Amino acid sequence: MADSDEEYVGDVTEDEDDLQVTRGDNPRAKKRKQRGGAEWELSRTWETLVEGADGTISSTVEGLLEANKRKRLLKDTTPLQRGIIRHLILIIDLSQSMSEKDVRPTRYLLTLRYAQEFVREFFEQNPISQLGVLGLRDGLALRVSDMSGNPTEHLTAIQALKTQDPKGLPSLQNGLEMARGALFHTPSHGTREVLIIFGSLLSSDPGDIHQTIGTLISDKVRVRVVGLAAQVAICRELCTKTNGGDETAYGVALNEQHFRELMMDVTTPPAAYSEKESASSLLMMGFPSRTVEATPSLCACHSNPSRGGYLCSRCNSKVCNLPAECPSCGLTLILSTHLARSYHHLFPLINWVEVPWRRASRSSACFACGISFPPVPPEDQWQVAESQTKGMSVSSRYECTACHSHFCIDCDLFAHEVVHNCPGCQSKSAE
Amino acid sequence: MNTVDASEHYELGATDLSPSLLTIVIDTNPHAWDILEDSLPLSKAIANILVFINAHLACNYANEIAVVASHTQKAAWLYPSQTPPASTDQDGDVSMSTETTPQPNKYRPFRIVEDQVTRNLKELMDSTTATHLHGNTSTMLAGALTLALSHINRRTIAWAEEHGGANPDDTTAEGTAPSNRYSASNEDEKLQSRILIVSVSGSSDSAHQYIPVMNSIFACQRLHIPIDVCKLSGDAVFLQQASDATKGIYMSLTEPRGLLQYLMMAFLPDQRSRRHLVLPTRVDVDFRAACFCHRRVVDVGFVCSICLSIFCEPPPENECLTCGTHLDVGDHNAKPALLPRRKKKKKKANGASGSGTPMSVSTPGS
Amino acid sequence: MHTPDRRESGVALRGRIGPRTRVISVAAEDLRVFQLTMASATSRPLEYLEGLPGTTFYKLYQQPSTALAIFRRMLPDLAKCFVMALLYQKDPLPTADLEIWVSSDSKKERDNAISILGRLHVLSTTLTGENVRAYMLTNPFAASLRQALMGAEDSQSFGLFSQAPEHLRISVADLDEYARRQWEGVMGYMVGTSAFSGQRDTVNLSKGVKQLLQAGHLVEIRGNRVDITKDGFGFVLQDVNTQVWHILILYVESAEAIGMDSVEVLSFLFLLSSLELGQSYDKTHLTPNQTRTLADLTDFGIVYQNDADSTRFYPTRLATTLTSDSSALSNPVTGSLTGPVGQTSGSGSGFIIIETNYRLYAYTSSPLQISLISLFTNLKYRFPNLVTGKITRQSVRRAIEMGITADQIISYLLSHAHPQLRKHSAAQPSNKGVPASILPPTVTDQIRLWQLERDRLRATAGFLFKDFTSLAEYQGPCQYAAEIGVLVWKSDRKRMFFVTRHEQVAMYLRNQKAGGK
Repeated sequence: MADSDEEYVGDVTEDEDDLQVTRGDNPRAKKRKQRGGAEWELSRTWETLVEGADGTISSTVEGLLEANKRKRLLKDTTPLQRGIIRHLILIIDLSQSMSEKDVRPTRYLLTLRYAQEFVREFFEQNPISQLGVLGLRDGLALRVSDMSGNPTEHLTAIQALKTQDPKGLPSLQNGLEMARGALFHTPSHGTREVLIIFGSLLSSDPGDIHQTIGTLISDKVRVRVVGLAAQVAICRELCTKTNGGDETAYGVALNEQHFRELMMDVTTPPAAYSEKESASSLLMMGFPSRTVEATPSLCACHSNPSRGGYLCSRCNSKVCNLPAECPSCGLTLILSTHLARSYHHLFPLINWVEVPWRRASRSSACFACGISFPPVPPEDQWQVAESQTKGMSVSSRYECTACHSHFCIDCDLFAHEVVHNCPGCQSKSAE
Repeated sequence: MNTVDASEHYELGATDLSPSLLTIVIDTNPHAWDILEDSLPLSKAIANILVFINAHLACNYANEIAVVASHTQKAAWLYPSQTPPASTDQDGDVSMSTETTPQPNKYRPFRIVEDQVTRNLKELMDSTTATHLHGNTSTMLAGALTLALSHINRRTIAWAEEHGGANPDDTTAEGTAPSNRYSASNEDEKLQSRILIVSVSGSSDSAHQYIPVMNSIFACQRLHIPIDVCKLSGDAVFLQQASDATKGIYMSLTEPRGLLQYLMMAFLPDQRSRRHLVLPTRVDVDFRAACFCHRRVVDVGFVCSICLSIFCEPPPENECLTCGTHLDVGDHNAKPALLPRRKKKKKKANGASGSGTPMSVSTPGS
Repeated sequence: MHTPDRRESGVALRGRIGPRTRVISVAAEDLRVFQLTMASATSRPLEYLEGLPGTTFYKLYQQPSTALAIFRRMLPDLAKCFVMALLYQKDPLPTADLEIWVSSDSKKERDNAISILGRLHVLSTTLTGENVRAYMLTNPFAASLRQALMGAEDSQSFGLFSQAPEHLRISVADLDEYARRQWEGVMGYMVGTSAFSGQRDTVNLSKGVKQLLQAGHLVEIRGNRVDITKDGFGFVLQDVNTQVWHILILYVESAEAIGMDSVEVLSFLFLLSSLELGQSYDKTHLTPNQTRTLADLTDFGIVYQNDADSTRFYPTRLATTLTSDSSALSNPVTGSLTGPVGQTSGSGSGFIIIETNYRLYAYTSSPLQISLISLFTNLKYRFPNLVTGKITRQSVRRAIEMGITADQIISYLLSHAHPQLRKHSAAQPSNKGVPASILPPTVTDQIRLWQLERDRLRATAGFLFKDFTSLAEYQGPCQYAAEIGVLVWKSDRKRMFFVTRHEQVAMYLRNQKAGGK
């Protein structure tokens, strides 16, 4: 089978490149304990396998699968204030080092593909946010697309990059400075973020990058970096300092999947750290209704003739797509559904808890989908089962702490990842 | 002679057409049905819907059905029964554990559905007490939708496993994010699910469910599940948006008596057939929002930048009513104050060029 | 040109139109077989039904179960929508309204649906009061379908449960096993595996089954030897549902010959298809003909009864899934049919893995499947539950010489593809909306190319114009034929040309002649 020969293509350490890193303390000394890769290198998956009573390992394997599903799910669900209105600059490394083929097909092409997915997902999750794309090539920062809320502009701009080749050395400082310039004028109620996809192990800068970091901090710009090679000290410093000491903002991709996960994590609105970082304010917004005209007319945004469109609630100019800023009066036009799309970030569904056998007898089937749960075994067997993998429920039941209904693992995942509703709480009256 | 081309072998795969799963959400709010008593009593509506269900099941051997009641105090399954736990065999048919009197004049799968729906509905109605109804005119739409979605999810997973489709776990292992596993790539090869809401209640009563209803709608949108709405009475801003966002059909029946014909004509075709049909759609959708403070429908409103609550006017003491954050209302007014300065600069630039432009235009003419 | 004197008058046209000519090549026979089997694979029951007279339909549609089965099995999606939309409408639907209902891009589908409905005598056109052409459903069909959906008073259309106490209840698994054994026995008989399947319980096929197979030209019996025919090869490679239909239609055809009413048999078959798996049904109220049919079907594993005198019968999965699409059915039945003995269905139907390097791995121990695979594969190793081999040019050509077509091989591989292959293809990103294929494209293309190596010639039905007296006389109509796009072949030297349609060319010649005078 084609997928059976899948070999590990992770972060190849390029020792000769390490030597060229301009500023940074000896990377190799720190690498061992800092790199995310160390975890998998030491995990011995075969040791967790325990033979079941029937002499097979199928029960353990199933348990591991379930635990794995759940691991993905157990996120922090404390309702945090989040920056829903975001301004983000995506900086893509377009330098020589991106032509490496350690991820398939090349770092460059994979990054561009993921960047496009990122743009789509970003606007899906943050419909009222703004995005801009920059590139790092030949020691210069290159403007790929301007700040805007229209995903198609970014997608076409990124698509156009595919025909070009990565070239020269990257300059982090130039990129950051240009991003800072682009974010400088954004209103204070939104976030200012930079996401860097960095495949190189060096940065060839014209000046002192530490000064740039200083100005970024004072401008409240938060920088996150996804590395493709090895950890680079300056990136680490950059992320830690601009994120108020949070180290999770820097991640190095282990493989293609991990790379994608790291990028997609950024689509979730970041938690607002404190009041002072972004001044909350009341925004005036228009909620236009859709109209269809008998004869086509030009829209105010692109001057394209069209029959359908949305009329600005304040000045009646016609725009063809929402969300948008009214081209004539500057009112933010938005669908109420766009706002609603972000609500699940603000009011997340609480994590459900594992149900021990003791309480399992209350239910025999999943409340939502009706799949039957395994029956409760006699009491003396409870202990044996408890020793299984962490994160999964021994009784295969998961309980919502609000309505005390029991659910299966699939419904648990589905409710938390897709619907963001608890079927139990919603189906019972609030009394 | 050279008829071998790459496209040919794709067609073979496409003939493998998947069945569809129809989930019907019936709004059983007694208050609203009471109003409809003269034109279409609930019993008659249910009878019509049952014929419609049979028609759906008749279309394909493997078609599936699920019915949820959205009642005033709870959302409950009508079919398949959740209590006692429905043991379904691999076809998704309910097994014959609950045997009823033999009745040779009806196709068995039809009868099983009918029996269960009527029995569960009766139980639901019997369990409804006057206290439940008192002062409660809303319907648990969000819960019903969530239950429906959970069921669809379960059946989709089960169907994919049975038919060797993409196993969600493996797809993620091969590099797709968990969010993508729910939106499978090829539409024809997975279970085709859709939701039909038979709605009678007004939506303004269920305002407290706004967020969960919207969450369900977005889930449907993401999973490409159309929400069809058959509106028998009342207004429904949410439902209009729901069918619009999910590319479903929205119909407000002017003549509720003709329910069956509407169902058969407009709501029976599944996604595959809909590609060929011209179906009723709404062109003008009401997208206005209801404010959180007075429930007024506004077209220009104020939005809290933290929690995105909508207000029709700046809230008292500039504190957000939902999240309690102190909001900087001045900021909104401060912005125009900044503008004149910039405009001045621009005006200067514009003025300079502005005076130049007419001249340059006039020069070639003269 | 259709009548002899017309052809004579062809001389008067100064150019003779030859009789309807067919260019037959060496490979044309293969091609014909190919067309025939492909047609039978897709819609053999439909074709058979279409051939029935209208009165038969009238009788058939009296039964709600028949109306339901025909509605479900024979109609395309769009036709089902039309039927359902019209079913509860009092007035006929004007044709114009129906045309508006279907989007303009789907005219082809609409016409196809309406033509099938017409051919099955489901839809008819009438004139409404305002003299507008309108569609309406034919009556026994509409009434029966309504009855099926709403429940009728007293038609016993969906079978009577057996009320008698059962001392031995037959489980669904038993039924599947029985159906599998019988059906595999039939297949084994055809392919001739009975010789080496001796280690397993052999099935004694009744004489009726053998006769039926012979009558359907699926096998030929020469002395003691059973030889499978080309049609038979096509037959065994089809999926089970198509095979069952094939057999049933042969059965209905043969039933007429022995004096049974085909309507009665057909409606009984449709009744069987609407029964419930795992339930026993009462036999006592059946007519003698139906009882006889039942006994015959038992041999095929389509129904099960303890013995011929038993008062009850059980439909097996082969019967209850008759009206399902092949996709819905393939899993449970083929899973239980092809899987190793004792293995329950549900674990997935496929067992064949094929790699891009033409290697084939089949996880099966069934002698029938192994011998089927060996028809087009060079088998190399055999293990208790696995055979491996390689698809080569030689092996495919051998199969094609036997009368198997590339499409049959591919569809066989496709319908038995291992879940791993399906999973793999589902995980692949679809290419511009086209889902990734399950089998490696290199393999399917190559199998087709190997077939094409033999198909160097193509048959085209048409008309040959010859015997022109002068070159000028020849050139005029020839050019005209080329202009209207019917010209297939011409020879200036022999003054002959070959066209697919002759009407316009003949008209042209006639006009020429008139003009010449």
